Amino acid sequence: METQDKLMADVTLEQAKHLLDCLEEGNIQAARETIDSLSQIREASLFCEVGKLTRQLHEALANFQLDDKIAGLAAQEIPDAKDRLNYVIETTENAANKTMDSVEQCLPISENIRDTADNLLGDWERLYRRELKPGEFRELASRVEEFLKSVGNDSTELNKLLTDVLVAQDYQDLTGQVIRKVITLVQDVEENLVDLVKMFGRTEDFKRAQNETKKVTGAEGPVIDKNRDDVLTNQDDVDDLLSSLGF
Amino acid sequence: MKILIVDDFSTMRRIVKNLLRDLGFTNTAEADDGQTALPMLQSGDFDFLVTDWNMPGMQGIDLLKSVRADPNLKDLPVLMVTAEAKREQIVEAAQAGVNGYIVKPFTAGTLKEKIDKIFERIDGN
Repeated sequence: METQDKLMADVTLEQAKHLLDCLEEGNIQAARETIDSLSQIREASLFCEVGKLTRQLHEALANFQLDDKIAGLAAQEIPDAKDRLNYVIETTENAANKTMDSVEQCLPISENIRDTADNLLGDWERLYRRELKPGEFRELASRVEEFLKSVGNDSTELNKLLTDVLVAQDYQDLTGQVIRKVITLVQDVEENLVDLVKMFGRTEDFKRAQNETKKVTGAEGPVIDKNRDDVLTNQDDVDDLLSSLGF
Repeated sequence: MKILIVDDFSTMRRIVKNLLRDLGFTNTAEADDGQTALPMLQSGDFDFLVTDWNMPGMQGIDLLKSVRADPNLKDLPVLMVTAEAKREQIVEAAQAGVNGYIVKPFTAGTLKEKIDKIFERIDGN
C-alpha cells in the first residue's frame, strides 16, 4: 500500500511540474490536459479508499458470524447444561439417600450387637462371682452360643451394607465429568460475551465492571470465594462473633 | 421433647433427623420451608425448632422472626443450621433472637454441643 501511495505522489509531483512548465510556456491546452490527468489521479486514490472501507466492512460482517455461535449456545448448549446440572442434583440426592438407607439399616444391627454383648457380659460376670444357679448357667451357655452364631450373620449383613455405601459413592465420578463439561461451556459463553462487548467498543465498561466489588445482600448459599472478608469460614469464627455479641 | 426440622433439602432433613435420634431425640417432624413450618408450629406442641436459612417460600430468618412475634411461640428455642455465613447475617439472626447458629458443613459433635448449650441455658433460667 505504501509503495502505491509513493508512486502516486511521484506521478502527481511530475504532473504538477509539467503543469507549471506548460503555464510558463503559455501552452494553455497542454496545461488543461495536465489538470485533467491530475484530477484522474485524485479519483483513483478515492477509489482506493473506498476499496479499503469495503474490505473493513466485509471483515466486520464476518465477525458478526459470532452471532451464530451465540444463537447455538442459547438454543442448544445452555438448555443442555441445565439438564446436566439437574442430573447432578438428582444423582447426588440419590447417592445421599442410598447411603443413608444403608446406614439406617446398619445402625440397629450394631446397636443390637452392643446391647446383647452388654447383657451377656453382665451374666458372665455373675458366673465369675459364682452367683449363677445351674439352670441359669445352661441358659447363659445357650445365649452365648446363639450370640456367637448371630455375630457371624450380622457381620455378613454389615459388610454387604457397607459395600453398598462404598458403591453409592460412584456419583462423584459421573457428576464430576458432567460438571467439567458445564465449566467448559461457561468458559465458552464468557469468551463470546467478552468478544461481543469488545465488538461494540465497550472495553472501558468491561474493565470497570471487572474491578467492581459486588455486594450481595441476603441469602446466597455457600460462599466459595475465600478472599471475601464479610464471610466467616468456620464454626469457631461464628462462635467467637456470637460470644462477642453476648451469646 | 418434640422437634421440628425445617430444610428444603430432604437429605439434610434426614441427616439432622438421624443425628438427633442418636442424641436421644426420637420425636421429630419435618417441613421444607418456613411457610409449611409456621402453621405446624402454631398447631403442634413443638419444644424445639431446627431450621435452615436459605429456602424457597419463607426463609429461615423470617420464620425465626415470625416465631418470636407469635405470643404462643416466642419462647421456643431455635437453632439455625445453615450455609449462610456472612457476618451481617449472623448478627441479624442473633438480633432476631436465635438460640444457636451452626454453619454447614457441620459435625455430629457440633450439633450435640450447641443443643446441650441451649438446654443448659434454658434449664439455668
